[in-house]
Amino acid sequence: MMDANELKDKIFAYVEAAKGKKKLKEKDIINGVSTEVGAEKDVVKKAMREMIDIGKLMYSYGGGASSVEIPSEEYLREKGLIK
Amino acid sequence: MSKKYDTPLLDELEKGPWPSFVTEIKKAAKKSEMANDELGQVEKSYRTKRGYWKHGGIVGVLGYGGGVIGRYSSLPEEFPGVAHFHTVRINQPSGFYYSSKALREICDIWDKYGSGLTNVHGSTGDLVLLGTTTSALEPLFAEYSSRGWDLGGSGSAMRTPSCCLGQSRCEWANIDTMEICHQLTHKFQDEMHRPAYPYKFKIKVAGCAVDCVAAIARADCSIIGTWKGKIAVDQDAVKAYAKGGMNIQAEIVDMCPTRCMSYDGNALSVDDGECSRCMHCISKMTKALKPTGEKGVSILIGSKAPIVVGSLLSWVIVPFMKVEPPYDDLEGIIRKIIEWWDETAKPRERIGEVIEIKGMRGFLEAIGVPPVPQQIKEPRKDPFFFWKEEDLTK
Amino acid sequence: MAWLTDAEAKAIRKTDIGPPHFGQFLPPVLKKNYGKWKYHERIDGGTMVHVGESGDKVFTVRVASPRILSTETIREMLDIADKHCDGYIRFTTRNNVEFMTPDEKKVDGLKKDLKAKGFAIGGIGPGISNMVHTQGWIHCHSACTDASGMVKAIMDELFPYFDGSKTLPAKTRLAMACCVNMCGAVHCSDIAVVAVHRKVPEINHDLLKNMCEIPTTIASCPTRAISPDPAKKSVKINAEKCMYCGNCFTVCPPIDIHNPENDGVAIVVGGKIGSLRTGPKFSKLAIPFLYNETPRWPKVVDAIKNILDVYAKNARKHERLGEWIERVGWERFFSLTGIEFTHQHIDDFTFMRDTMRTSAAFKY
Repeated sequence: MMDANELKDKIFAYVEAAKGKKKLKEKDIINGVSTEVGAEKDVVKKAMREMIDIGKLMYSYGGGASSVEIPSEEYLREKGLIK
Repeated sequence: MSKKYDTPLLDELEKGPWPSFVTEIKKAAKKSEMANDELGQVEKSYRTKRGYWKHGGIVGVLGYGGGVIGRYSSLPEEFPGVAHFHTVRINQPSGFYYSSKALREICDIWDKYGSGLTNVHGSTGDLVLLGTTTSALEPLFAEYSSRGWDLGGSGSAMRTPSCCLGQSRCEWANIDTMEICHQLTHKFQDEMHRPAYPYKFKIKVAGCAVDCVAAIARADCSIIGTWKGKIAVDQDAVKAYAKGGMNIQAEIVDMCPTRCMSYDGNALSVDDGECSRCMHCISKMTKALKPTGEKGVSILIGSKAPIVVGSLLSWVIVPFMKVEPPYDDLEGIIRKIIEWWDETAKPRERIGEVIEIKGMRGFLEAIGVPPVPQQIKEPRKDPFFFWKEEDLTK
Repeated sequence: MAWLTDAEAKAIRKTDIGPPHFGQFLPPVLKKNYGKWKYHERIDGGTMVHVGESGDKVFTVRVASPRILSTETIREMLDIADKHCDGYIRFTTRNNVEFMTPDEKKVDGLKKDLKAKGFAIGGIGPGISNMVHTQGWIHCHSACTDASGMVKAIMDELFPYFDGSKTLPAKTRLAMACCVNMCGAVHCSDIAVVAVHRKVPEINHDLLKNMCEIPTTIASCPTRAISPDPAKKSVKINAEKCMYCGNCFTVCPPIDIHNPENDGVAIVVGGKIGSLRTGPKFSKLAIPFLYNETPRWPKVVDAIKNILDVYAKNARKHERLGEWIERVGWERFFSLTGIEFTHQHIDDFTFMRDTMRTSAAFKY
């Protein structure tokens, strides 16, 4: 069983790799990462949600659909997560 | 705020008996620079015949992926007050009832953080607050949520469910639409706030086939109240309608789609077995006719507006189902329906479209509903049908 | 009033609490008679009474709303609700506002105060309630006309059907959508206006390169009019196949579908929602195009007035507009209204096989 922080790193890396190439839906990340690291989907989902709750990842919307992205500095500043 | 723009075109829309949205924007503009610039930008649109809003952007409250629609002016230098003009969707209470205390509080918070302009309500049902800035979103959400108000849905998510006023003030309601809507909304909080679906999914609950909430045309999942027993006839009330000038033969009996009623000039009778429960007679003679017996819901699936390969009305999937608080059975079947769609759909495909592409059989089997004639208007016309191995051994 | 600080906001914010329970917002007479209503009656164009099995009554007065409301106007409504309705108020699914009281003696005073504040009373019975509509130029990137202004112009003209001074054979539901996305789902209305484009969108290739996923953009087109343009790292549009739905614009903003000189509105008729008598119906095309004539769209107003007048004169009591047209036939609808029939009326997109006449029986 993978360490929770290690899993979050994998999730982050997965989202980062798609940056600018493909808009990822929650499900893309859950399916992709769970296949990659062999973790249960629910475990990946929980870890991803925890990352969204603290602004490590964020929901985005564009092209008529919702997706999950790495937050911009502007977003982090607006949420008071960085100075 | 002082008047900032001359608005000769919009001023034309303050004339006449119907209430004017221009007057509303001007009222808000007395207190809000945002509303003032909104007025200026809309006047410009009336001059040039085009809008000046950019596509929605990436805004929201921490942890949520919906409830706020990003909106930015494409002319921020000309109209700085609407450089940010985001929409906030507040989840309405079932039936759109408010106490003045609660609604005043909503207004007070909105005046503090936004333009003072609202839609009461938006098309889906939310109480819509029009026009605020990105930096106002967190404190605004904190103020509303701490007072018991949450955001509605947006994006690829469960959208805010809505309903007719049902049993709170209508004798036709076969089900407690407001409680069903309230319970379902609470059961789907995660799916509303964190967009994980292929596209939007709407639930609307109507108390009867009159469908005042347009469930059959506007919801992916249309829940419509119905009954199975007889129509009770109060013959004295029938006589009173006749005496009051109603032509019962022409207006009721002849307009019955199944011709299951007869009237001998004195008494009205119904062949209940042939009634299709369309609500015509009941809605026209509400004092005289009343559904009795078992009450429940019909579940219809798939309606949507035409974009892009054509509009759909919802299809009957479950003709009758009894429902009782806390509506776990109803939640169960809706979850099965959504699970199939979520597994099967491509991005931006509504459930009606996916059923059309993949076929009804796979859908019905996945949700455990048998084929019954109530689901169709007529059977298929062509001889090209699929057989599964298991069908051949039957 | 000062804004909350970040720390204050963080301390009090709650998530996933959902809407408050409606129970606390129900007038006591509704709570008491919940699920036990016996019948209701229209008293006049803006007033009705509901009677419970208990004998209790509740009188409802309905007023018009432009849907866009300032907080100031909402407070004016609430003051009246406090004075006459024990502090309760309700909104309808068609954006009207309802004031309720169990006391018949209070109705006149309520109406007097509503009128004094300039609220328009009506919308009950066989006439026209509010016109459901979308955001338009007020707030939407996709709008190709304004919604609120057109609705205002139309409802000014049709006001006698709202306040009850004139009635129609049956209730008539009007709706307005400011683009073909139809946020207000106007596709099942007796009469609806929908804004349409008529020109192929223009592509800003430089922006598209950075903003859009090319496969998604290509897939968004229902007629397969979009194909890759590798030289430009962009896409191109086959003008003969494009039917201007704007779905590509939704997924890829640099494909701009707006064209002020050529955008305008179509009018569709004959839809309904309820299952009464005949099944729910989609609205069908009556008038393919009218120009955007700001600020009051006189040709749109006249066209709707004409359709409504012909319906009022010819339909039977309780017959909705679409039911009347189905009875007399679309050829009769066009001859009675004098609306020109064009190539645009014949479906050449998805539903031709269902909509062509396949019978030798028809009228002139």
